[in-house]
Amino acid sequence: MTRRRWFVVPLLLAPGLGLILALVGSVVVIAIGQSFGLFSIFGGGAFSLEPWSETLDRRVYWRSVRYSLQVGVVSAFASVALAYPLALWLRKPFQGAAFIGAVLKAPLLVHGLVAAFLYVNVISYHGIFNQFMQAIGVWDGPRRLQNDPGAVGVYILQTWKNMPFALLLLTGAVRSISDDVLDAARDLGAGTWARFRRIVLPLTTSVMQAALVIIYIGALADFSFQVIAGPINRMSLSQLMVFFKDRGDWHAAAVVGVTLMVLALAGAAVLTLFIQLIGRGWPRR
Amino acid sequence: MIGVRVDRLTIRFGAFTAVDDVSFQVAPGEFITLLGPSGCGKTTLLRMLSGFLEPTSGSIHLDDVDVSQVPPEARDTALCFQSYALFPHLTVRQNLEFGLIQKRIPRRERKERVATVASTLDLDTQLTKLPNQLSGGQQQRVSLGRALVMRPGVILFDEPLSNLDAKLRDRVRIEIRRIQRDYGLTAIYVTHDQAEALALSDRILVMNGGRVEQSDTPEALYHRPRSRFVADFIGSANVIVGEVEGPADAGIWRARTPIGLLGFTSERQPPRAVTLCWRPEHVHLGDGDLEGIVIDRSFQGNYTDLTVRSGDVDHRIQVSATPLYEGDRTRFAIEPERVVLLEDEV
Repeated sequence: MTRRRWFVVPLLLAPGLGLILALVGSVVVIAIGQSFGLFSIFGGGAFSLEPWSETLDRRVYWRSVRYSLQVGVVSAFASVALAYPLALWLRKPFQGAAFIGAVLKAPLLVHGLVAAFLYVNVISYHGIFNQFMQAIGVWDGPRRLQNDPGAVGVYILQTWKNMPFALLLLTGAVRSISDDVLDAARDLGAGTWARFRRIVLPLTTSVMQAALVIIYIGALADFSFQVIAGPINRMSLSQLMVFFKDRGDWHAAAVVGVTLMVLALAGAAVLTLFIQLIGRGWPRR
Repeated sequence: MIGVRVDRLTIRFGAFTAVDDVSFQVAPGEFITLLGPSGCGKTTLLRMLSGFLEPTSGSIHLDDVDVSQVPPEARDTALCFQSYALFPHLTVRQNLEFGLIQKRIPRRERKERVATVASTLDLDTQLTKLPNQLSGGQQQRVSLGRALVMRPGVILFDEPLSNLDAKLRDRVRIEIRRIQRDYGLTAIYVTHDQAEALALSDRILVMNGGRVEQSDTPEALYHRPRSRFVADFIGSANVIVGEVEGPADAGIWRARTPIGLLGFTSERQPPRAVTLCWRPEHVHLGDGDLEGIVIDRSFQGNYTDLTVRSGDVDHRIQVSATPLYEGDRTRFAIEPERVVLLEDEV
């Protein structure tokens, strides 16, 4: 590269990349700094490992880490697992396919908080679900389903909200596989499952990977579903961060914030590696 | 090697009948071609044979076993796709092995079969490449190899040469025929290219509007077409209507036509009104009872194509060399043995 190019290329990239780096970078730097006792909101502040050591000693922190990871991973895989058959079903146009596709993607337009309220209404003590179960004679009386300790509500909401996103990505990827390729596999003896495993999955790996990572990062940092429909015996990392902030413990909140960022990055890397590793086996048996 | 029997096969899509009451048989080891223009139903028929389409009525038997309801993955057929349909994420070796893995063929036999086919098709050095690293001809050979390696009872070809350039098409055509003979495969080939059909086939089924117009050897189809459609579709043909005057000799009849009196052969007593056909290359220029004026001359390299007007009828004559040009008057003759009565037009 010539000297002129060394000068021109960064200059051209500066408006876009520079802005991103400035905005994201400053937040990251401040969060990391605060987690080490710097940039105190109350003035002063000095480098210290105390916020980390104190937070890492708390059981509630580790429980939140485990819980958030669980929500992130389960939601990502459940959303993608549900989206695949739907994407395959909608692959070929049929009467009403556009309408069904639109309905399936509707959750994308509903804000998380609204979705959580709708869900709570459905499963509340005197909600539609309880009444339905009693009406068909499965349950004798209403049951408490809200804020269940197993966090089933959160998984349902996360999957409901994120599945359309995975569907959006996967539908395009699945449609790009030619009919002839799938027919050829069938002609060579591949049944439905073999065609999915040996043709569809490998040809949509990159899209599936992207869907998994994006959904995982979103679900990992879940706040709204957790606050309204989540279990009351544990907090998600976002909830814990807000909890520390509300107590005025900004340094501990920063530790949780940095943890979220690290888990998002590490989780995304692990998911990518995992898909690549199992993807290597797809062309074979 | 297995035989195929198709009985009264019909498929309808709503009110449209794509294949209408088609019946034929293919002997073990025979190479037949379904030939016809776009939309005549030949690919639909092939897709029914491979199991991708379910017939509305009729049946398909492979070696006397009714497979009409058997799905493609369970049929003893292998299809070579027009688009090749190679698996883009798999290497040539993996493409070739795909079907064998599905059929749970042991690893050692798999390797042997792939090696044999790769060697036959000259793909030995391409086995580790992905399809997008191959030329069109190589991709076509992989597609063929992928079908051959399965050792199918019947191999089906859906216009496999249509995406190749002319030279490569000729080469692959010869290869397909050689492999089919070497392996003794029963083959059903779909094409709209009459030259391809004539060169490859033991027998050709000419299709039109979902029906088989004529089924015969390439030579018989060319020399003894039964309908105007077949005469026109297979090579060039002059077709004319006439009125029979009576017998001229044993098996030879005379008919009055707009270009003059024409002799033609017919083993049976022909009806009064007949439709006759002859090939442009079967006309002798320079002598004879017929005459016309050259209205167009087109030099084609190994022959010259003349359009001659006799009365108010234009017809074509092909000769290897001629001093005639536009506006020249000429006499010509057609041997009665070369004039064919189109029996289905009667």
